[in-house]
Amino acid sequence: MGVNKQNCRNELRTAIQQLNDRCLYSASKWAAEQLVGIEQDPTKYPPSHTRLQRDSSSILRRFHCTDEITSTPIAGTSYVSTPVLEEDNGDVDSDLYVLAKSYFNCREYRRAAHVLSDQTGSKALFLKCYALYLAGEKRKEEETIELEGSLGESNTVNSEIVSIERDLAAVRKNGSIDSFGLYLYGLVLKAKGNENLARTILVESVNAYPWNWTAWLTLQSLCTTIDTLNGLKLHNHWMKDFFLASTYHELRMHNESLAKYDYLQSTFGSSNYIKAQIAKAQYSLRDFENVEVVFEELLRIDPYRIDDMDMYSNVLYAKECFSGLSYLAHQVFLTDKYRPESCCIIGNYYSLKGLHEKSVMYFKRALKLDKNYLSAWTLMGHEYVEMKNTPAAVDAYRRAVDINPCDYRAWYGLGQAYEMMGMPYYALHYFKKSVFLQPGDSRLWIAMAQCYERDEIRMHEEAIKCYRRAASCNDREAIALHRLAKLHSELGQNQEAAFYYKKDLERMEEEEREGPNMVEALLFLATYCRAQERYEEAEVYCTRLLDYNGPEKEKAKSLLQAVKLAQSGFP
Amino acid sequence: MTPHKVSICILLQVYAPSGQLSVPYPFDSISQHNRLGLFLIALTKSCDDILEPTLDEFLKLLKEFGVLYNWLTDHVTGRLSSLSSPDDLFTFFSELRGILAGLETSIIDDDQINLDPNSNLGMYLRRCMLAFNTLSFEGTCHLLTNIKTYCKEVFSPYEMSHLDDASNDPEAPLEYENMDLENIVLQNFTEELESRKRSNERVPFHNHSSKALFSLVEDITVSPGQKVKRNHRSQMQTQPPSVESSDVRTNWQIQGYMSEQADMIEKLGSSFPMSAFESVLKLLQKVAPELHRVHFLRYLNSLYHDDYSAALENLSRYFDYSAGMEGSDFVPPLSCMNNGRYEIALLTLGMTHFHFGHPKLALKVLTEAVRVCQMHSDDTCLAYTLTAICNLLSEVGISNITGIMGASDSHVSTSMSVQQQLFLLLRRTLKRADSLKLKRLVASNQLALAKFDLKHVQRPLLSFGPKASIQLRTSPTNVCKKLRLSSQLIHQFDNESSVVTIDGALSTSWLKNQRKPTTTLVFPPESGPESNRDTFYSWLQSSSVPGSVLQLVGSSYLVSATSWELYGSASLAQSNALLFANCFADSSSSADLALAYGKLIQHLAVYKGYKEAFAALKIAEAKFLSVSKSGILPVKLQLLHERALHRGHLKLAQQICDELGVLASSVTGVDMEIKTEASLRRARTLLAANQFSEAASVAHSLFCKCYKFNMHVENATVLLFLAEIHKRSGNGVLGIPYALASLSFCESFNLDLLRAAATLTLAELWLLLGPRHAKRALNLIHSAFPIILGQGGLELQSRAHIAEAKCYLSDSSISVSEDPDIVVDSLRQACEGLEALEYHEMAAEAYYLMAIVLDKSGQMEQREEAAARFKQHITALENPIKPEDPLVNLL
Repeated sequence: MGVNKQNCRNELRTAIQQLNDRCLYSASKWAAEQLVGIEQDPTKYPPSHTRLQRDSSSILRRFHCTDEITSTPIAGTSYVSTPVLEEDNGDVDSDLYVLAKSYFNCREYRRAAHVLSDQTGSKALFLKCYALYLAGEKRKEEETIELEGSLGESNTVNSEIVSIERDLAAVRKNGSIDSFGLYLYGLVLKAKGNENLARTILVESVNAYPWNWTAWLTLQSLCTTIDTLNGLKLHNHWMKDFFLASTYHELRMHNESLAKYDYLQSTFGSSNYIKAQIAKAQYSLRDFENVEVVFEELLRIDPYRIDDMDMYSNVLYAKECFSGLSYLAHQVFLTDKYRPESCCIIGNYYSLKGLHEKSVMYFKRALKLDKNYLSAWTLMGHEYVEMKNTPAAVDAYRRAVDINPCDYRAWYGLGQAYEMMGMPYYALHYFKKSVFLQPGDSRLWIAMAQCYERDEIRMHEEAIKCYRRAASCNDREAIALHRLAKLHSELGQNQEAAFYYKKDLERMEEEEREGPNMVEALLFLATYCRAQERYEEAEVYCTRLLDYNGPEKEKAKSLLQAVKLAQSGFP
Repeated sequence: MTPHKVSICILLQVYAPSGQLSVPYPFDSISQHNRLGLFLIALTKSCDDILEPTLDEFLKLLKEFGVLYNWLTDHVTGRLSSLSSPDDLFTFFSELRGILAGLETSIIDDDQINLDPNSNLGMYLRRCMLAFNTLSFEGTCHLLTNIKTYCKEVFSPYEMSHLDDASNDPEAPLEYENMDLENIVLQNFTEELESRKRSNERVPFHNHSSKALFSLVEDITVSPGQKVKRNHRSQMQTQPPSVESSDVRTNWQIQGYMSEQADMIEKLGSSFPMSAFESVLKLLQKVAPELHRVHFLRYLNSLYHDDYSAALENLSRYFDYSAGMEGSDFVPPLSCMNNGRYEIALLTLGMTHFHFGHPKLALKVLTEAVRVCQMHSDDTCLAYTLTAICNLLSEVGISNITGIMGASDSHVSTSMSVQQQLFLLLRRTLKRADSLKLKRLVASNQLALAKFDLKHVQRPLLSFGPKASIQLRTSPTNVCKKLRLSSQLIHQFDNESSVVTIDGALSTSWLKNQRKPTTTLVFPPESGPESNRDTFYSWLQSSSVPGSVLQLVGSSYLVSATSWELYGSASLAQSNALLFANCFADSSSSADLALAYGKLIQHLAVYKGYKEAFAALKIAEAKFLSVSKSGILPVKLQLLHERALHRGHLKLAQQICDELGVLASSVTGVDMEIKTEASLRRARTLLAANQFSEAASVAHSLFCKCYKFNMHVENATVLLFLAEIHKRSGNGVLGIPYALASLSFCESFNLDLLRAAATLTLAELWLLLGPRHAKRALNLIHSAFPIILGQGGLELQSRAHIAEAKCYLSDSSISVSEDPDIVVDSLRQACEGLEALEYHEMAAEAYYLMAIVLDKSGQMEQREEAAARFKQHITALENPIKPEDPLVNLL
């Protein structure tokens, strides 16, 4: 395949060392995960080495069939080899550096920065600036709480940013900046709102040193449209594939993202990260079955994992799996109860149990921990809707939408809330937004159609259009066809009505469903065919109707007689 | 607590040091001491402003004290910089306590200066101390850092502007950040101003907006602020407010600031600097994310700059967050408290659609609003919604609303015509508003009714029996009564001393005065030209009448100007427009103001000729930032068209007509008034080119359109014009029915001036039929003379004079050669008027007649003169374009 596994391994090993050295722990964590994720040659290593990789083959098999097709075009690309960084060393300097690093590890950031204040090496400079940055962030958080007022003032800024920026800009000017310095510079520029320059700087950084995943993530947060993404001049490194896969997901290009991950799995066959990401993409494509399988797998391999588990809880919620959800909630509660994800999972559990007040409490806690936690806002909105507290629901949904305007669930929730308040016309605005973002989701179209159908506005033509869209995009509950038929028949458009009743009937037969809809469809079709003088068809429908009890049976009988009479050629 | 307050406290300490004699140390005299006291009172009153002065600005204010200036500044800066630890602050405030007189010292020693704890200054000091005492340790630390920043701005004013200036101080970056931001705002602003100026001239872009309606929105959601007289331009320069100081002011101040800005946006409309304000709002939103009214301002801002999607976005965001509960100045009924008042969102959305020219959408939304209001029994909002529907129906040309307003709406039954429905709705809305005691709404409804009465004949909705015969006329007395009642409003607000002062309206008014607090207080007010204004004016300024009320009263004057225009009293119309332009220019929206100026300019053009009108136009244009977007542009085009027609520049006239037609249908919907005006002018141009059948067909289609949209007043004009066409084509018999029809229209709508004009046309038509009818024509002319000479414009008067002369000339019973004066006098007057109008064609005719008369009476010398003038006008008419004409390039 495109990536040489051994090279990869070596690169990652060095990178982990270097990232750790610079206290970039989450990047180093990510790199280490990927390092272990590279599939070992089972013949060379005893089974104990592959403990974290066991049982992963089943997932691999699941995606293996698609693997060949999607990876071929990418496999042809040649990767640039980026030279591994040389370290600068000096005895006294490195002693000071070690001291600073120890302080840093003890979270005494200002002390660490002070130790390094006279150092000039690029490594020392980076750590100094990074420590200052983190100190500033910490102070900012504290100030936010100190200065909190009735209007939610959040004008606190990281006061170190300007001096860091000044230092880094100077170093960059004389050309002695390294890739880590560039990363920090990009971070600072982004915080200042200078996004274009930040993007350029970060691209420079990742091109020079591709193994810093946090730099990629920062870059990703600056790519909000496909055009900006395509505009980036990135070197072809295998890390770029990770970046692209993740960014495609953010840009809601789920299939492209899945293809990338499938390709990456050929090298990083047992990477838990990739598995979780695949599950994420499939979740967005509403493929719950597969997601559940992946998460079960993940939990078995890595039972103390909390990342992404909120999504798993959503799946369990959707499948109304009480015990599974409670087990998961218990598990994360024991692992770390003060993670927003944990709170969210517990909230989901209570919501499934119908205890909405408690559920809201846990969502609120999740939001206290991370006020930009998108899904918690939306889920809390759902809870408020359940509790009939529409203003609160509207508020929660609106916050979700303001955090990410592409969250179609929150738009949908807003529409629903307004519809509940008897403002269907106003609600339409929100439904429109939601279907615009997710045009392939039949539930949204049906909700909008039902809104159009409301007694207050009665815009049946528009409702029909919406139902048609819903019917054309895999309407699972098969509401759309029935409603379409009914609406057409109400509007006196019998031909169309017959068409949809027939379709609905076919579908019910296919899925072996019975019920009042069936009777209704048969009755309409029988009457319609008789009126059209298609007596044989009418007879078929009538005979089928005879299978059902109730008033329709009598009607069918009389219809059948009339048909017979007409058939016999009576004038 | 802010550093500025700390420095006021320092001055207070100087003013009243504890235990000192009557004139404490630095002062020379008691008067000097008192001056400081007055100064401090002024300062404490302005302490709730949204923006506090920097130390530098503050010290400049101290310059008033002359000799003491140096000492005071040194003292203040010295004290401030001596505060270097939290403990210093603590000692400072405990020292302050010493200058307050204890409550127990009832006997006040004359020689000692003690601050009465209940005095203005004492209260202020106590407030400061209380604020300090409730601070947490973190708060004290913040105050300390703020004081350091505050001081540094003075000592190193240049330091900040240099990026590379390395300073180790942790606060320096903050300052730099803020500087940066402010500069950007300022820069944006100036750029925008310039680009606006550049794009000023040739972009014909008509902004169709209905301000009166929008004032209603304001009534509900944004509380009115006090108005202080300012000139638009100077206002703009001080516009970008700096939210630069790092701490957010109180909720109160910001609310006050915002309602003031909202008023400004609505008043200035599209000439409000958009992007500059937008960036301020964005900043404000970042700083105070829970302050939802920012979204409303962003909505207003984008609304007035025709940004449809942004307006919609911000509107829904505002109401999602605030649930319609924030910023409303009346207490909602308890039942609504839990559910939010989302009906206001619908009301506002409806008005937005209306503003953007989607009347049908607007009606749908408003119908939903009515339903939701009824559901939540929110009577106030219902009253406002119904008023909005009335405005919509009366302002937008909707010929048929069945199918839009659902049958479910009980307020309107669908069997009636739009006008009847509107009338019923208006009456009901008025009653409802009256019962809810919503004064502004009542006044605005009365205004709407006046407008309705002005243009509609009232028929009884049900007429039974033989006695149901009624006079089919409009009732001017009703109009007058309604207008009076509407402007009564201002007195009610004046009498009611407890005007609703909401959220910091007062503190913002201090903000405006702050620029010269010392000059007014320390020195006696200078008797400048401003103090000589008439009393009504200053009363308007000083009284605490809310801006929206002033606006409403202003528009009542504007409506009465229009009504007098229609009823044919030029002088009353002019005086009403003048009154409006003088007294309500500051409180009204720029669109209303443009309308008033337009009326005045047209009055000048009709009665004084073009020279003066164009001079006035120039003055008016200077008052508007963007002429192309204001209501001045159509007026200008009309003037130019009129003049081109008179001078015979038909090509130019055609071109101007086309431009006017473009103005009529802008992106924000069709303006029926301008549209009819444009097609009428087109017909007139065709007539001037002697293309009679084309002109007649244009006029016919215009008549049909007016009939469809119930514009009967316009129909009278169109009919008269049709008569005119037949007169010009020499077909008097066909013209007479049109003239008579126009006459009857004029009678039923009480259009006296137009009626006089129609009578004149009728006379001319009779005259056309032959000299036998000269007597009848003369009688008709004489019957119309009082109004024509009293109220008619120059053209009408001249026409009447000429027609009279013609009658005399063709009447065989009168010998002109014996008594030339009866003709020559009126002809001479006609000539004067027509020359002022540069109306070559008619002037030529007048001189021709004059020459004939003079010839008959044997006054050869004068005859030659008249003949020469005749020739002059004829050649001017034949060679219409003179290169040196200064007005050609006005277009």
